[in-house]
Amino acid sequence: MAYKPQYYPGNTSVAKNRRKHMSDDVEKLRDISDEDLTALLGHRAPGADYPSTHPPLSELTEPDCPVREAVAPTPGAAAGDRVRYAQFSDSMYNAPSVPYWRSYHAAINFRGVDPGTLSGRQVNEMRERDMEEYTKRQAETEMTDWGLAGLRGCTVHGHSLRLQEDGVMFDMLDRRRLEGGVIVMDKDQVGVPIDRKVNLGKPMSEAEAAKRTTFYRVDNVAFRSDKEVIEHVQKVWELRTKYGFVPKA
Amino acid sequence: MVKTASVTGKPIQIKVFPQRLLQPETAEKVLNEIDQVKGVIRMLLGGKNLPRKVTCGPGTGADVNHPDRQIINVGDQAFELHIIVGEIIVEVEDESALENLKNACERALPFPFEFKRGHFIKRKPTLTDYGKYGFKSKYDESINLEDERLLGLMDPHAKAENSLCVISEDNGCLSGRAEETNSK
Repeated sequence: MAYKPQYYPGNTSVAKNRRKHMSDDVEKLRDISDEDLTALLGHRAPGADYPSTHPPLSELTEPDCPVREAVAPTPGAAAGDRVRYAQFSDSMYNAPSVPYWRSYHAAINFRGVDPGTLSGRQVNEMRERDMEEYTKRQAETEMTDWGLAGLRGCTVHGHSLRLQEDGVMFDMLDRRRLEGGVIVMDKDQVGVPIDRKVNLGKPMSEAEAAKRTTFYRVDNVAFRSDKEVIEHVQKVWELRTKYGFVPKA
Repeated sequence: MVKTASVTGKPIQIKVFPQRLLQPETAEKVLNEIDQVKGVIRMLLGGKNLPRKVTCGPGTGADVNHPDRQIINVGDQAFELHIIVGEIIVEVEDESALENLKNACERALPFPFEFKRGHFIKRKPTLTDYGKYGFKSKYDESINLEDERLLGLMDPHAKAENSLCVISEDNGCLSGRAEETNSK
């Protein structure tokens, strides 16, 4: 029987969603074109070539190294792309992804990632075309509800704030907003206006967000309601505390 | 004899903390309702900053044009919101105004809110205020400020014309704006 990784314990909807995110078994909810995504990221003009930081690996004479032989380079690394970033903020009001789960999703399912996880946001550095592929995956699937999350390269404030009256997470730079029942974004992730209005689809209803979220909350699914998770977390803490004393026996 | 104390009376302070951040229309509505309540001395609006320009990152200097940065009318005054309103601190003269204040908020806010009583705006001058305004005279060490209701309504370095609004001369209601610019 083929090995099936077991990513996360628990029987609540939150635990199941966390397993889904880690295993990349996520539902695609919307389409965002490559050009639109490139415009939102703001690293290069849509349609332009990928700028490179070194010649393609095929043109370089690499040193004799068994690791280089065993590991195939990612498309971005093979082409010599620049390292670029994408950063998401997620509202604590039942956004689909906890920042940590964006990191798990990236690190488990993609190669050449450098995830940085903070309390309310998650930044990921990769070679440019690899980063675009990863961002597209997170942006198009149930991992992102554009009403409760945002692509924000700077001025990320919003995660821990109350929602606006229209149910959308506050954005100080007004990169994306609710217009006619859908979320539209007309600035790139650092707040520079772009030449298009990108339709990011309908935001989730409150009930839908509560169903798809990976946040434990006492007013939805409480962390303490999942015994298996508590047991697992306590076991991890116990083992790492014991390991802190470096037991010899 | 040197006079030192300047504040008399003990007004009551209330913090109105809505469940959602207020759109300008709702903020205008609730502020007007509060302004109608008899006994309101001053209000302090708190919320998140709506900058005019991008202040950090590669987009520094680009215009934000946030749709919530609007001019609203409260009483007989119009002023520009620099924040998305998240809380309103109201100071009233005495207990008799509380019920009316709560009713006013209930009429204007379409969602639940907290109505907390406490000490939120300073009632007497501190060292910083004396540093800014000084004493009245050699023999009068009360603060050299014509209207002491200004105290606590704005940051010591803020300009009054950007942060302060006298809504009504009749009942003397003042409104200040506090901006929070945390970047978590």
